[in-house]
Amino acid sequence: MARSRTVRAPTTASLPNSLRIPSTTPSLSKTLGKLSRPALLDLAISWLEDRNVESFPPYLQPSDTNNHDNEETLPYPAAETLAEVREAYIDLRDRKGGKQEIIERILEGDWRHGITLRQLAMADLRYMDDRPASLRWTAMELVRLNDDATSKSKSIRDAIAIASEDWSANIPRIQAASFVKSLHAEIAPLVKAHYHLSRSSTLPLTFLRIFIIDSPYQTPRHQPEIFTDATRIIYIAFPDSCPYFYTSSITTSNASDSNSRSGSLATDPRTLQRLVREAIPKALSRPHQRFTLKPTALAAKNLQTLLTLRGPGRSTSSNGAFSIFADAALEGSPLDPRPSNTVLAEEHMRGRESISSMHDDKENHTHDHDNASKSARPANKKRPSGSGTAAMPDGALSPDSKKRRLAVESRFGTVGCSVTPAPLDRLDIRLLDTPGAEEDANANTDRNAANLAPAVSLTFTGSDVIGGIRKLAELGVVDPERMPSWMTGEDAVSTAFVRGGTRLHVDRG
Amino acid sequence: MNQKAHPFGSPDPQEEELDAEIRSIRAQISTLAHRKRILTTSLLSSPKIKTLLQNQTSTTTTTTLTTLKEDLSPLVTAAGAHTTTNHHRIAFGATAFPFKDPAPNSPDPNLLGIRIDVCARDGRFAKPYYVLLRQERGRRNGQQQQRGNGNGKRLCVHRHTIPAFISVDRLAGVYLPLPSSSSSRHEEDGSGSSGSESESESGPMKPGQARSTRRKQDLRGFVRELRRELVAWHLRSDAVVFLREKLGLIRDSESETDANANEDEEEQPWGEKKSPPRNDLGIIGLEATAVEARYVRMEWEDGRLGRFKLSNAGLVERAVFMNDRGRDKKVEDAVTGGGGEGGVAF
Repeated sequence: MARSRTVRAPTTASLPNSLRIPSTTPSLSKTLGKLSRPALLDLAISWLEDRNVESFPPYLQPSDTNNHDNEETLPYPAAETLAEVREAYIDLRDRKGGKQEIIERILEGDWRHGITLRQLAMADLRYMDDRPASLRWTAMELVRLNDDATSKSKSIRDAIAIASEDWSANIPRIQAASFVKSLHAEIAPLVKAHYHLSRSSTLPLTFLRIFIIDSPYQTPRHQPEIFTDATRIIYIAFPDSCPYFYTSSITTSNASDSNSRSGSLATDPRTLQRLVREAIPKALSRPHQRFTLKPTALAAKNLQTLLTLRGPGRSTSSNGAFSIFADAALEGSPLDPRPSNTVLAEEHMRGRESISSMHDDKENHTHDHDNASKSARPANKKRPSGSGTAAMPDGALSPDSKKRRLAVESRFGTVGCSVTPAPLDRLDIRLLDTPGAEEDANANTDRNAANLAPAVSLTFTGSDVIGGIRKLAELGVVDPERMPSWMTGEDAVSTAFVRGGTRLHVDRG
Repeated sequence: MNQKAHPFGSPDPQEEELDAEIRSIRAQISTLAHRKRILTTSLLSSPKIKTLLQNQTSTTTTTTLTTLKEDLSPLVTAAGAHTTTNHHRIAFGATAFPFKDPAPNSPDPNLLGIRIDVCARDGRFAKPYYVLLRQERGRRNGQQQQRGNGNGKRLCVHRHTIPAFISVDRLAGVYLPLPSSSSSRHEEDGSGSSGSESESESGPMKPGQARSTRRKQDLRGFVRELRRELVAWHLRSDAVVFLREKLGLIRDSESETDANANEDEEEQPWGEKKSPPRNDLGIIGLEATAVEARYVRMEWEDGRLGRFKLSNAGLVERAVFMNDRGRDKKVEDAVTGGGGEGGVAF
């Protein structure tokens, strides 16, 4: 358990859970300091749970009290039993105070002999549970490879017979422990890593935290600071029952920092991350069931967004105008005797749950929506926001604005007021239309010409880009009837190449 | 002192009580209004009222009744149409409707919508599933001449609300094949998830263009398979819920994952104690491993573990049960044998 300095041989084993980072490392208190006080207490208490405490026991009073005098000088005297330590944290939970005292107690008191890698991983994942938007995530799709050459010569009937066995076999079945083992087998020759699997407490996701280091030794002689280096940590989130997974992307500023620091290409965290990312489909593959990665052109900060747009649920392939179907806002259950055009969409969406205060809140609802999306207005460079004066007050709807509202509703569906909100924080659009050219006439020939023509790129950022565009359409800044469908979030992407108003797949290569 | 400040800081208890009362009355009003709407609409669509109204109007034509009829007839017609739709939805489970894509650049704005209704175990209908199909004319590609001998309309999936574990793309690849010429166009328009379809459909189509044009699109087959898959999924998850109910596991689903039991600390979170099983079989856990409820995991009090796979027909296809000495063949045979009646029967 203690760091042995005597035997040091390069191995391919993963970094042990019990590898301790000295408590005196300044970045440790910084890492723990990101957590709030209740989160810290929860974390410490979960460290002391029976199933965890064996892997990182707290520092207890040694049975021979020879060096007792030494202990007295420290601010946190060592406890004698485990129960005592637990008692102390329960007491801390019951009274008020700052979080600094808890960090100090953890680092200088109960875990003065070091924080293990697993504890650090638990702290990081706890932070992620509290702040789901703290990282930027990229969604990747796992596509089953049809590399079997014989399948091409099979007759159609065979294809149907095989396929009809199991239409849901497109998802790799993940058994967490064996997945980590095979992932380890993939990347172990290249990098050394520490793996931590954990189930998210708030979302239907399983997180895999991988800490990578470029040393072949079991007890690396790096500075202890490196263990808290955020660029060496990859998070992979596996949503339940769908062929997607999400990986955390590195922020560019950190990466450039570490680039200048390390210098060598092989130790660049970015390279290490790429190695890990490429190893994932290989680790998921089995004989006769090979997977490959496919980018899905979606990156967002909010995990909920990714779950909505690339998740197991209904909304994965019906967004924008089609979100009324995802939310089932159009029609009710076949047992509902009310004609569906007499029922409010919100009522359909809520289903049979509480229908309190549903009746006369048309105005209330729109007001709420206004307030919600006021902060979400994107940075639209073309038009100043002053043009919003054209909007009528909500109370008196002119026929014009009523028509506009209907048009907005038909284009955006339930975006912005959906039961599963999916705010995009960034939307990159590249327009490939040649100015003045008729795009429909010769789509194939001017593909080459598009390389020469000036391309227009639009970037929207904000807390909810699509919601903001909807708001602009409601105010009359954007014409809801003529606007192309990528503005309604129908394609559910954050990066798109657009020609003639429709999205192109240029990543096919 | 800090703790004492709380009761003083809060508003008047009497006020609070009144607020709560007002809230409950409001809720009551809204539920009653809801009930009234349900009752009026069901009254309008009931066959008795309908025949009564028809009889009344055919025999006597007094002034009051004609005005009544004029008031009522649009309502009655709407209610009648709605009831017929609902009857179709209940009886057939899959209904079609037209839908117009509001996007201005869409080449084929007229979409064919298919709605699939699945009835769950408690007699309620799940949220309807939708598939929206787009007509593919392939007019921008050069190969459209050979379309002349077939029927000109090709359907392809545009949007859908089917859960991701049912591969709509692969289903569509088999039942709604597109000629390979237009498959690239389709991939351009579909969302990111449609990529696998072109791969799976290009497989059997590679040998010759002639074959791909011969393949007919089978919309009925597509809808039938899709609905079968959805129904099987609902049945599987219902079966798991049913078994959990029977085993008395519904309430303690949170604590059953914890493996370490500690006897002397019961209220403490450290050693989460497993609650004793409420059944005499000693089963403390039974749950589906994922949303699709294809695999079910079982756990016994004495540490035995098991996992079995449910087929679409509702049978236990495969089962693995482990005890201290390894595989427990006896239990496995009991679960898989006899058409699955030892394990799960729908």
